[in-house]
Amino acid sequence: MKVSGRSKAGKFTFECRTGERILYAGLRMGLALPYECATGTCGTCKARVREPATIKDLWPEAPGNSYLQRERGEFLMCQAHAIADCEIAVPAKMNSMPEDYIPLVSTQGTIVNSRLLTHDVMAFDIELADPIDFDAGQFVVLQVPDVEGGRAYSMVNYERATRRLEFIVKKKPDGRFSEWLFSSKADGTVAELCGPLGRAIFQPEEAKNLLCIAGGSGIAGMMSILSRGCQEDYFKDHGGTLFFGVRTLNDAFFLDELADFVSAFPDKLQVTIALSDEEVASIETPHNGSLNFATGFVHIVAAERMNRHYDDVVAYVAGPPPMVDGAIRTLILDARLPADLIRYDKFS
Amino acid sequence: MSWKRVCSANDVAANSLKQFDVDGVPVLIANLGDEFRAYPPLCPHMEERLEESGICEGGLLTCSKHLWQWEMRTGEMRGEAEKPLLLYELKQENDDVLVNIEKELEYEYEEDSEEDDDGFWD
Repeated sequence: MKVSGRSKAGKFTFECRTGERILYAGLRMGLALPYECATGTCGTCKARVREPATIKDLWPEAPGNSYLQRERGEFLMCQAHAIADCEIAVPAKMNSMPEDYIPLVSTQGTIVNSRLLTHDVMAFDIELADPIDFDAGQFVVLQVPDVEGGRAYSMVNYERATRRLEFIVKKKPDGRFSEWLFSSKADGTVAELCGPLGRAIFQPEEAKNLLCIAGGSGIAGMMSILSRGCQEDYFKDHGGTLFFGVRTLNDAFFLDELADFVSAFPDKLQVTIALSDEEVASIETPHNGSLNFATGFVHIVAAERMNRHYDDVVAYVAGPPPMVDGAIRTLILDARLPADLIRYDKFS
Repeated sequence: MSWKRVCSANDVAANSLKQFDVDGVPVLIANLGDEFRAYPPLCPHMEERLEESGICEGGLLTCSKHLWQWEMRTGEMRGEAEKPLLLYELKQENDDVLVNIEKELEYEYEEDSEEDDDGFWD
């Protein structure tokens, strides 16, 4: 199907395959279509269609639909197939893609090595038939046969042309994917995936000091960023400071991996685990030498520990929405960072 | 002209925002420390309530949802913003903050709404 579109940036056309979401088709062709969550929630990818009968809405109850005026033909590009040639208009500004942009691909992989990291966090890997590239900090949309709809998960690892992607999932009360992952034997399941997606990427050429603030499973993309930084000796010359917020020490994970990062670059890398519901005085772990622990919400701990020393910093933020909001307040009010040095992808 | 009292000057802390209802019209009052400003209450981007999402720092208002920013004094766009803030005329009389409401100011959330559909798709 041919999709003909227009935006303030001009006109464009691209081919949308049968069963392919319009957003993913456009991104696959290198078009800078607007999006954030890519999974029906944020409303950022809204567009208008001239003839509603030319598209199929895959998720009429999508939370992001609250941003739409249906009678005007508005729809979410991430939740629509083209079922005939169609004409669309995109209201948001379309910035051009960076030159080193990695085009989106749709592919399949097998879930392997699913394992518990804590009582409510699981990790798993996906083995791909064909290698893919992604930038540190990016995510993919995953879909498995037993669970309706796609879910966005950030890659934990970092490797170019990789056949293995590593993810983490936190168990949520009504999270159907997490329930499926926790209750059944996921290993061996073939998952569909689309990616890479997301603009909160590590850009080593910026040559800045990294400040990462993560809550819970938001640590995934930060692990990828720190992995790349360590692999490429970025932290020989640039600082890296990570604040990782969880409730208690029992909820923390990746502590061995984080301690390894720090021991590779002890002068430049600092990692602080912020425990919102546990007093630090009671903590004794093998990591006490390399990791710092503090009590409090992660964005408040970050402000205290940074103590107004935000020299030449670019900041990355990921986590649950209230934590992201708090971290952004810290970065604007305390760090006084300009908005273009605050990187995060909004999932809600 | 219809000047209406919105609040008292000390109802809104310095460098903060507070939303008021003025005869059914929602108005967001900003205290810049030395001056006040009055805006419609929602972010011109995706209709977030700026009283909750807005951050005031150094004369800039930032919506924490997508980091659109504006000069608080003028409503001019900064950074990622793609639409300016609208302002109500405001004056302070002694301790009272008054706003001139001719009609409720609202953002146009639909692009190209002036055009009819024929023109829109040309």
